[in-house]
Amino acid sequence: MGRPQSVPRRTAQAAGEPMLRVEDLSIKFVRRGQEPTIAVDSISFDVQAGQTVGLVGESGCGKSVTALAIMGLLPPRGNRVEGEIHFDGTDLLSLSDKQMRDRRGQELAMVFQDPLSSLNPVVPLGVQVCEVLERHKGMRHGAARRRSAELLDKVGVPDPTRRLDEYPHQLSGGMRQRALIAMALACEPRLLIADEPTTALDVTIQAQILALLKELVTESGTALVMITHDLGVVAGLCDQVNVLYGGRIVERADRFELFARPRHPYTNGLLASIPRLNSPRGQRLKPVPGSVADNIPWQVGCAFSPRCGAASELCRAEAPHLERDEGGAGHEIRCHHPVGRPSESADDARSAQDE
Amino acid sequence: MSEPTSASPAAEPGTRPGDSPVTSGAEDVLVEVRDLKVHFPIRRGFLRRTTGHVKAVDGVDLTIHRGNTYGLVGESGCGKSTFGRAVLQLEQVTAGQVMLDGIDLATLSGEALRRQRRHMQMVFQDPLGSLDPRQSVESLLLEGMKAHSMTGDANQARARLRELLSAVGLPMSALNRYPHEFSGGQRQRIGIARALSVEPQLIIADEPVSALDVSVQAQVINLLEDLQRELGLTYLVIAHDLAVVRHISDQVGVMYLGSIVEEADADELYSRPLHPYTRALMSAAPVPDPEVEGRREQILLSGDLPSPADPPVGCRFHTRCPWKQDTLCATSRPTLLPVNLPDVPAAHKVACHWADEIERGVIKPSSSRQAEGPQTGQIPE
Repeated sequence: MGRPQSVPRRTAQAAGEPMLRVEDLSIKFVRRGQEPTIAVDSISFDVQAGQTVGLVGESGCGKSVTALAIMGLLPPRGNRVEGEIHFDGTDLLSLSDKQMRDRRGQELAMVFQDPLSSLNPVVPLGVQVCEVLERHKGMRHGAARRRSAELLDKVGVPDPTRRLDEYPHQLSGGMRQRALIAMALACEPRLLIADEPTTALDVTIQAQILALLKELVTESGTALVMITHDLGVVAGLCDQVNVLYGGRIVERADRFELFARPRHPYTNGLLASIPRLNSPRGQRLKPVPGSVADNIPWQVGCAFSPRCGAASELCRAEAPHLERDEGGAGHEIRCHHPVGRPSESADDARSAQDE
Repeated sequence: MSEPTSASPAAEPGTRPGDSPVTSGAEDVLVEVRDLKVHFPIRRGFLRRTTGHVKAVDGVDLTIHRGNTYGLVGESGCGKSTFGRAVLQLEQVTAGQVMLDGIDLATLSGEALRRQRRHMQMVFQDPLGSLDPRQSVESLLLEGMKAHSMTGDANQARARLRELLSAVGLPMSALNRYPHEFSGGQRQRIGIARALSVEPQLIIADEPVSALDVSVQAQVINLLEDLQRELGLTYLVIAHDLAVVRHISDQVGVMYLGSIVEEADADELYSRPLHPYTRALMSAAPVPDPEVEGRREQILLSGDLPSPADPPVGCRFHTRCPWKQDTLCATSRPTLLPVNLPDVPAAHKVACHWADEIERGVIKPSSSRQAEGPQTGQIPE
């Protein structure tokens, strides 16, 4: 890596138009004879070129399903997707399967959480990387192979030509994840969705992969959607953060704003509950009571209300809307009783950090 | 590795002011591990001849005081889980001693070992995988007690079950339900209750919270701490999450490729990591604060963990170490020793030839590895 790679940026975008605009996206799981389960409930967000947007939440909050919907990977059977997903001006949901196939891997790419299960175990790595280039760029095998080796080299896989003939099980976890990233980058996509790309990896390898993604965004202007549950990863990487809970965006802000002044009780609770590297020992954690599974699917009211200390009758009866928070630049929250600023528990967490 | 006994009293005097009361009774050593080795044979060919060994644990000394928590951190493949299992004699120990309350477990077998198991229990990472899906919670909790004839009559058993469930914060109605009916956090509580059921002295928790959701992790960590305070338990916590380990441990050991490279009191270790690997680990752990993330310097290690079947000669970390020197590192394996620096307590031990030179700034890291901003620049060896 470090070799200068000229990455031609295609079409200049119309000014102000985001690379990806998700509008009122709802995803329902439909089972015959059952009430549909609302996995994602009208979420909207924008991603600009060269921007990293985080979707943060715990398991079951709808973050991965959102990613699959954007990539058009949700099987039509059993899933109902509503709303609009505009990518560079076209609504992806209105495209046919064939049209979508042409874009996927070419303009949109995705890196999955588990690199071992997203690679074909019985096909050498080289064939899998070349496939993308041959399918989308019409490259001949020899050229595709040379390009694949370059790509692997770019993402920091040592001895790439030899690796092309190896099978996924012969690579280490970090190496597999790099190979997946290389495949995702093969066609220089304009939008990359990374679904928990470092969760299965060790900290030192995670740092390498995150640095690679960061470099990619700054170098080639790729729009990156980062899906994670790790607030530490978010703090280091994302420009804008969307916090999801129960299929809805409950808080959205610039990362500095979000970590300095979390206003939704859920975000606030999460930040207060995680142990810190720099907090003194013996300080008790403040957990968020209950668990996500307790109240999904919810019917009426705020999905977080059963776990929320500030919940009132209003919260249980009526779902709040995502509203602009006065004072915070671009800060949006969905809460009837936002945490006052500066909040108590955030204060504690902060003072703990200062020590 | 030859001086294990000096380790025990060293951890004590005035290490951490204002600490939790559990440390007070810590003179008393519960677990003492001496030069523990677990080697797995690699068999190849038709005759299944042994062609080599995976040195999963290769010479670990460790002392845990009664009522304390020892945190073992390291990346996957460093041997930390194998170590935990070897302490419980769940792995065949190749060499070394494991003393639990003065009894050498490695010399026991059969019924004598089975009786000792009552005193040491394990909490596993994956709560669903470690609970039998066809056993109700009641039967899961009673199984261990029956095996050690601790149930008494029906009323006593009932009372004990109630006690266990309330200790881990589950309702009595949980007894007739099955593991799949619970959420991840609740299942982990069941796993903890099962471990507690036989009134153990030592609990080895292997990644107790890493399979749980972020908001639930804190509940389980708090529960473990409460139980320790109430029951005077001793923990060996094995985890990869530095923040979790720091939070619950009194003492922390950092493991790399089968051996402990640094050991110290939790606060001391985290405020002054001395081993290059510990430094890299600390700098790589993401911190949930963008201000910190923006200004801190990361030490990016190149490459992956070398294979434990063929570990590097000399210091095991020298192939990835940014501070590697031309002498010693590649030839001689450093032992875990206190460093020769003012105001570093004797309990802080490092296995590095150059630890004090690095700390004093005499030795600089090779520059290309020091990443600034988005620069990655791994040059794999």
